Amino acid sequence: MSELGLALSMEQISKRFPGTLAVDGVDFSVYAGEVHALIGENGAGKSTLMKILAGSFNDYSGTIRINDRPVDLHTPAAAKAYGIQMIHQELSLAPPLSLAENLLAGRLPRKWGFVLDRKAMHAESRRWLERVGLDLDGDTIVEDISQHEAQLVEIAKALANHPCILVMDEPTSALSRQEVQRLFEIIRRLRRQGLAIVYISHHLDEVLEIADRVTVLRDGRKVATHEIRDVSASQLVELMVGRSVSALYAERSTRPAEVRLEVRRASRYGFFHDVSFKLRGGEILGVGGLSGSGRSELARSLCGIDPLEEGAVLLDGRDITPADYRQSIAAGMVYLSEDRKSQGLALRMSVAENVLSSVIPRQSRTGFYSARSGRSLVRALVGSLEIHPADPARMASTLSGGNQQKALLAKWLATKPEVLILDEPTRGVDVAAKVVIHQAIAALADAGKCVLLISSDLPELVGLSDRVMILRQGKRIGQIDRERCSEAAVLLAANGEGEFVQS
Amino acid sequence: MSELSAPDIDARAQRKNRLFELVSVLGVWALVMLLFASGCVISPKFLTARNLMSAAQAVSLLGIVCMGLAFVTYSRHYVDLSIPGIMALSGAMAISALPYGFAASLAVGMATGLAIGLVNGLVVGYLRLNPIIWTLAMVSVLAGLIRWAYGGLQVYPDEATAAGRAFLNLYHVKLVSLADGRIELPLIVGLLAVLAAAAHVVMRWTSYGAQLKLTGSAYEVARLTGVNVRRVVATAFVVSAATSALAGILLTSFNKVAAFYIGRGYDFEAITAVVLGGMALAGGRGSIAGVIGGVVAVALLNNVLSLVKVDDFVIGEFAKRVIQGCVFIVVVGLHSWALRRTGMDDA
Ligand SMILES: Nc1ncnc2c1ncn2[C@@H]1O[C@H](COP(=O)(O)OP(=O)(O)OP(=O)(O)O)[C@@H](O)[C@H]1O
Ligand SMILES: [Mg+2]
Repeated sequence: MSELGLALSMEQISKRFPGTLAVDGVDFSVYAGEVHALIGENGAGKSTLMKILAGSFNDYSGTIRINDRPVDLHTPAAAKAYGIQMIHQELSLAPPLSLAENLLAGRLPRKWGFVLDRKAMHAESRRWLERVGLDLDGDTIVEDISQHEAQLVEIAKALANHPCILVMDEPTSALSRQEVQRLFEIIRRLRRQGLAIVYISHHLDEVLEIADRVTVLRDGRKVATHEIRDVSASQLVELMVGRSVSALYAERSTRPAEVRLEVRRASRYGFFHDVSFKLRGGEILGVGGLSGSGRSELARSLCGIDPLEEGAVLLDGRDITPADYRQSIAAGMVYLSEDRKSQGLALRMSVAENVLSSVIPRQSRTGFYSARSGRSLVRALVGSLEIHPADPARMASTLSGGNQQKALLAKWLATKPEVLILDEPTRGVDVAAKVVIHQAIAALADAGKCVLLISSDLPELVGLSDRVMILRQGKRIGQIDRERCSEAAVLLAANGEGEFVQS
Repeated sequence: MSELSAPDIDARAQRKNRLFELVSVLGVWALVMLLFASGCVISPKFLTARNLMSAAQAVSLLGIVCMGLAFVTYSRHYVDLSIPGIMALSGAMAISALPYGFAASLAVGMATGLAIGLVNGLVVGYLRLNPIIWTLAMVSVLAGLIRWAYGGLQVYPDEATAAGRAFLNLYHVKLVSLADGRIELPLIVGLLAVLAAAAHVVMRWTSYGAQLKLTGSAYEVARLTGVNVRRVVATAFVVSAATSALAGILLTSFNKVAAFYIGRGYDFEAITAVVLGGMALAGGRGSIAGVIGGVVAVALLNNVLSLVKVDDFVIGEFAKRVIQGCVFIVVVGLHSWALRRTGMDDA
């Protein structure tokens, strides 16, 4: 790799936000034809360092060289001109537009100089979508595609701009294993073509598989850069956290309890069909399945966000089949959305306002409402989930991705739910923070509540669930209990094979 | 990541948020001072009790409209363009109902406004039509309706009846009159004060206010937090229509006549005042205190301009429009720029 020379070198880079030195004198370099992983805890400064490279800030200090030439990257346009493309952690497609318009934004093909060439647009967008393994039409509207598809489209969009330096900020947080493998094939091909690639991820196995070198950030400073063959996962964790993290999934003692939640023959045609299950108090039921198997759709319909066309939901024997989400919240069943940016948090409001937003309707018996009364609740949640910085008055948008995720969990925990439905609860969360979130979920279950857990993170699904129910193409095809649950079993069953599939 | 200790960060971030709000509120009041000072310099007539009193009443009328419009803007539905139509029709209906008594007249006037507001609310809030397009259509329908109902005629209250006299006097009622009428508190100023206090309390201290803020900041998030977003938005339009109706009745009383053109220009002046007062079109930001500042600034600007004379020719009416337009553009521009600079805009 090194024979191609340095494509990018950042020297003594610093960036200060009011009150925070987010990046502090970091040196970082990438060779052409190299995949350089950037890892660190939530809030370590990974996204900020890469946003500097993408021209998002005009007030960083330090020197950036591209192909050994010093450059100023003070605007996104400048960064693009140097061939830098970034896939942002928070997806950034424009929802009302079509995929083609998003993919080819700024350089739509034209006929006769001014008329949009629809045919060329269609063909070209199709080509890029196929590159990332998506069988979608360019005319599809962004709103109509799912999270994992959006993430792949985001990658296609970056590729379509023919980058020299490609930055991927947690590109796999919504992807299934197969999709990750396909992405890796794409990355390997790009590496052979001599691209310099920066890969940010909290999944150390991915980092160990795909990266050539790895740089660890902690508290805005660089801790170390290593050749990947010189390090192990546990060493990386220690470098990130400054201590070793143990006991990822603690054994939970599940006491047999009464059935609390019962879902009877739930259907939403075209999405899921005839799904029934029961959930005991204190039980965590995992939902396994490939992306597109209808897991999120099931969750959203159960709590009334999307229509439930047939079937019933019973809590403690009482029919709570919701007509809309408000009823469901009132009945104590809440849903943590997989899309924290556009459906989860109001980014321009403070952490405290976000956390309390879920309890406004409850507090309003008199019509009067004061955020002050919820202050201690917010403090407690910020403390127990270790949200950093621990400042409830902070605007949500200034938190790092993983801390936003914790704030979102805090928002739903504030409602003191009876049934908590979690859709990818640890997306973009670091190893140590994951433990914190898992403990919070386990604590809720131990208090006799029901938890429905949807996760593409197999170790998490297997480690946390008492039972895993498998969905495939919208149908419940089987279930695996804790004793016999393994990642391999879930994966096999999700593909419709193995002993756990009931015909 | 920081050489500052955690409480330091706490304090600084909080201070930054506060500072931002403070600057936008102080900024508009600084502008008010400036206008006041230039008024004193430009014309000796400015600092007379008579002029200031008429300025205060004009402030109040605009202010009453803004107290309602603020809810619409706060909910990120920009503006209610049907304000002039509501003002005109409510005034006309109030006069038409005068034969049934003064109280009936007020009730009918307000009911008219509320009915229109309800339609706006249903269409924009529940059917999700674009608020600008819909209220624009609404205002033109309302103007047509008045012309059709009253022909080209102007409708006058009957001064022979007690109700008619009461109606005509409405605008001029004084709540307090001290020192032989040299210090007076007009009813309309009192009304504004009450409405402002109420609006402030609703926005800051009620569950509705909290839901409105969430809806204005992030509609989809609010919906998925269990807020009844449709009702929240619809209510904002009803509130806006109610204050417009009230202002329309008062303005009709002042003009002594109802006509389709009453209330014309209030849409633009009101939205200028609201935005000037720091309530961003992006929704969920700003405060009633700021909006009051914006109202005073706009009204003073009008007053000062109407006093400016060039060669015996009052340039007011022409300049007013041009300058108002410019102020609006500059303010909206500055706003988005400042928000982006401070990283307060996630767009
Ligand atoms: N706009 C902002 N204003 C103030 N502080 C900010 C802003 N953006 C980020 N920060 C702070 O800078 C620090 C670094 O954040 P950054 O987003 O780079 O973390 P990260 O390493 O990408 O974390 P994650 O893994 O959670 O995505 C955090 O403490 C964060 O709170
Ligand atoms: Mg990040």
